[in-house]
Amino acid sequence: MAHVPLTPLGRDLAAELESPSGQKATAAQMALEAKLEERRLKVEAGWGEKYKERVHQKGKLTSRERLELLKDEGTRLFEVGTFVNYGEHFGKLESPGAGVVTVFAKVNGLWTIVIANDNTVASGSWWPRSPEKIERAQEIALKLKLPVVYLVDCSGLYLPEQGRSFPGRSGAGHIFKKNSQLSAAGVPQIAGVFGDCIAGGGYMPIISDRVYMTEQAYMVIAGAALIKGAKSQHLSSLGIGGPEVHVHQSGCADVRVPNDEVALLRIRDEIKLCGSSSAPFYRGGADPLAPSFPASDLAGIVPADHRMTYAAEEVLARLVDGSLFWEILPERGREMLVGVGRVNGLYMGFVINRQGIVDDPEHHGQKKPAGILYKEGIAKTAAFSRACDADGIPIVWLQDVSGFDIGVEAERLGLLGYGSSLIYTNSTNDVPMFTVLLRKASGAGYYAMAGHPYEPVVQLSTPITRQAVMEGRTLAIAAFNTKLDDDFNIASDDPEECAKIEAGMRATEARIEADMDPYKAAAQMDTDEIVPLGDLRAWCEVFAETSYQALGTRRIKNPRIWSLHDVAALSAPRG
Amino acid sequence: MFHRLLIANRGEVAVRIARACRALDVTPIGVVSEADAGAAWTDVMEACVTLGPSAPAESYLQMERIVAAAKQNRCGAIHPGWGFLAENAVFAALCAQHGIVFVGPSPALMARMGLKSPAKAAMRAAGLPVIPGSDGPLASTDEAVRVAEDAGFPVLLKADAGGGGRGMRLCHSSEEVREAFPLAQAEALSSFGSASVYLEKYLTGGRHIEVQVLVDGFGHAIHLGERECSVQRRHQKLMEESPSPALTPDERAELGAMAAAASSAVGYVGAGTIEFLRSPDTESERGKLYFMEMNTRLQVEHPVSEAVSGIDLAAWQLRIAAGERLTLSQDDVKLTGHAIEARINAEDPELDFRPSPGKLHAFEFDLTAAGAGNGASLRLDSHLATGETVPPYYDSLIGKLIAHAPTREAAIAALDAGLAAAKIDGVASTIPLARAVLASDAFQSGNYDTSSIPGWPPAS
Repeated sequence: MAHVPLTPLGRDLAAELESPSGQKATAAQMALEAKLEERRLKVEAGWGEKYKERVHQKGKLTSRERLELLKDEGTRLFEVGTFVNYGEHFGKLESPGAGVVTVFAKVNGLWTIVIANDNTVASGSWWPRSPEKIERAQEIALKLKLPVVYLVDCSGLYLPEQGRSFPGRSGAGHIFKKNSQLSAAGVPQIAGVFGDCIAGGGYMPIISDRVYMTEQAYMVIAGAALIKGAKSQHLSSLGIGGPEVHVHQSGCADVRVPNDEVALLRIRDEIKLCGSSSAPFYRGGADPLAPSFPASDLAGIVPADHRMTYAAEEVLARLVDGSLFWEILPERGREMLVGVGRVNGLYMGFVINRQGIVDDPEHHGQKKPAGILYKEGIAKTAAFSRACDADGIPIVWLQDVSGFDIGVEAERLGLLGYGSSLIYTNSTNDVPMFTVLLRKASGAGYYAMAGHPYEPVVQLSTPITRQAVMEGRTLAIAAFNTKLDDDFNIASDDPEECAKIEAGMRATEARIEADMDPYKAAAQMDTDEIVPLGDLRAWCEVFAETSYQALGTRRIKNPRIWSLHDVAALSAPRG
Repeated sequence: MFHRLLIANRGEVAVRIARACRALDVTPIGVVSEADAGAAWTDVMEACVTLGPSAPAESYLQMERIVAAAKQNRCGAIHPGWGFLAENAVFAALCAQHGIVFVGPSPALMARMGLKSPAKAAMRAAGLPVIPGSDGPLASTDEAVRVAEDAGFPVLLKADAGGGGRGMRLCHSSEEVREAFPLAQAEALSSFGSASVYLEKYLTGGRHIEVQVLVDGFGHAIHLGERECSVQRRHQKLMEESPSPALTPDERAELGAMAAAASSAVGYVGAGTIEFLRSPDTESERGKLYFMEMNTRLQVEHPVSEAVSGIDLAAWQLRIAAGERLTLSQDDVKLTGHAIEARINAEDPELDFRPSPGKLHAFEFDLTAAGAGNGASLRLDSHLATGETVPPYYDSLIGKLIAHAPTREAAIAALDAGLAAAKIDGVASTIPLARAVLASDAFQSGNYDTSSIPGWPPAS
């Protein structure tokens, strides 16, 4: 079967979304998104105007100004790791974005990963988690074979916190291992050196294929101040490691350029030499087409209250081209919806949890709550995931899951085994996988649906995402289990003890609720980015275009020979 | 060439496409609603599939049923006709997804041309003059005011996704723009799901002039001259003629060449129409032509261009869709004489154009009424005959009478003779209106515009 039988999905919800209840739901989401935007802008401002001016006074651009010049006009940057270290204090200082900006940027028509030290935050020095954030961006580039651009302007480790960023397995030195792995995998790396690049900052650009240095830039193993101390010599850092030395004498850099603007222009020229995207080829004659219904609807479709339901179909209808979709195995495991659609003309697999009530295949005629993983849905998802892997169809996992089914029947049916099968499948897939935590990402459901520990290329959260083993109330009951009777009432007659237990349970619940804050997860790098729901289509476009950009680096089967067709053929009812 | 083609439409256009199919030895397969099942016009089809109940939403707009019908009948292509799904990009994508050629341009191009500001931006980039106004959706009230002041008052605020006059607001001053812009945005959002509003200079009393183009899949484009479509009622065209009395031969050649080049530049493929608005002449200068929109389909009034060019547009549409080269060069296109079309609707012009469905006790035309030996000829495009019924569910078009003659005067006379000889009983028709237009001084002088219907209502 050669044709991929996409059919229309979803419906126009304008009237529902305009109704008072629809407007209320949208307004609740918009309030959270306004907070997201406010916080994002705060990170973007770095240490603020004073430090921006300081950069300008040196005749340099800020890192974010450099990104604007580097990217193609009319395109937008897709940032990951915005909230790393968010809210965390190092002494009296904060480190917005961990002092480094990592983005997907389109440069001369090619998607690239750009890693830019934020020179408005402690001269671009590395804080705890700065190395991990840089390494994360390098990992993304390695998986997708995207060219990497380093905009280096880094005065080395932030030394007061060196104990947390120097020695570990993912300590600063691991950046250079990643540099090496990218190089070994044939991924182009281009560096622009724009300022102080001391110690680690000096090593970061060197493995790159092409290194540009501005007149304001120097790279040194140790800065002048340290040498003065150690060797009692009078030197300037620019004198010992500027372009005069590295371009003309040491060969540690390739090209000397007068300033930031010229460096960025030259880097754009380099990217032009890296070939063109293969995405138009893999579209197979199809055109990119917007979804029939706007992605902005999503803010009103997915309720912020995790106990309220919605139609998973309506979410997909706002992500795929023309709202056309092919659901695979639609009759089985109804709690899961899996299938294929195009995004910007490129085939992508989607897995999403249905919400509400679905048929229970184990008990004919009965219903059960969805948003949970049961035997058939897990089996279906594993078969779909493996078929996509075999066919080279990138997968987008859209999680809103409370976890696996539990209890006598669940164990008897062997959910541990089925779950492990799905985990094995996802762990050994080669195809690019992307995970979106729409709302709940709970328990082993978060793992089985390719959550962060399963190394998706990117994992996004929304302002209503809740990552946890279980909800706060459930955990409080579990923690105080021995103090409760069979009806979860406190099993004590002593009013004082009752009050103590009650207070303990409340405190536990409150702490767990706070831990589920997506900003906390993002600060700890337990998720890559927090995005507005209405932005998910744009992100899916980035996922699709980056997955299909590189030619000849991964298996991409044409639809005629998809294993998915076999899965569908075997599941079609006999005429 | 395709062996079998499904015509996803009904009535007059379905019959027209079927005729082109037969001319190219393609087997036409039809689709019908329950109301149209068994109608005489369906006899031209090799087979017909009943899609569903009479309402268009249940039948002619059922994308999946139509694609399924095409697959079941082994059709290699679908022609959407006009109206219904003809400009639906998702339907075009759905056809392609199922291995069926959609006779028309690519889905992305249809989608772009379906939105006003992207279409305008694309055509401006392709070199066509556009009405002064915003480049795209306006970001703020301040921007709207600034653009309005640059364009000159009055200006029209328009919803990007709107159509048919809905979502428009006329403003005569900066204050009015300041007041109306937020309202227009809110209205656009609630009516069309998108708050995008753009602005353009409002031109009164203009003429609607459109250019027919043909473009093949190799980027080769020609034009078949223009059609004057200024006899309109509430944006609905009633009569069309070619050439336009308003253009000089040099203006015609320049406009046509520009339209053909622009169509090719935006990647258009197939038969298409670029609509222009011509501003009124003033004492000091002749009216200017501005791009309005591109219709990505065959149009109702295409026979007018066929008459003056001698080129079968529907057949070329099919040949281009099958990947053939357009073997005609611009020099091969010889426009001769003058053609006028009267649309005949089952409406009562005396009763505010109230639809008048029903059984046709008589439906007779005499195509020799234009007389012999004078170079004049008549063409009737219709799917109806005496004894047939006009159902109430669809467009009220029951036929088009087209006269072609060496001169405009002769074409007017021939068309009037043809209309006078027509006999329609059982339903009211717009023939009296068409005859009043033809008899009016305004129409006969060629000096008319879209602001009023020449000769209608008749002076009592």
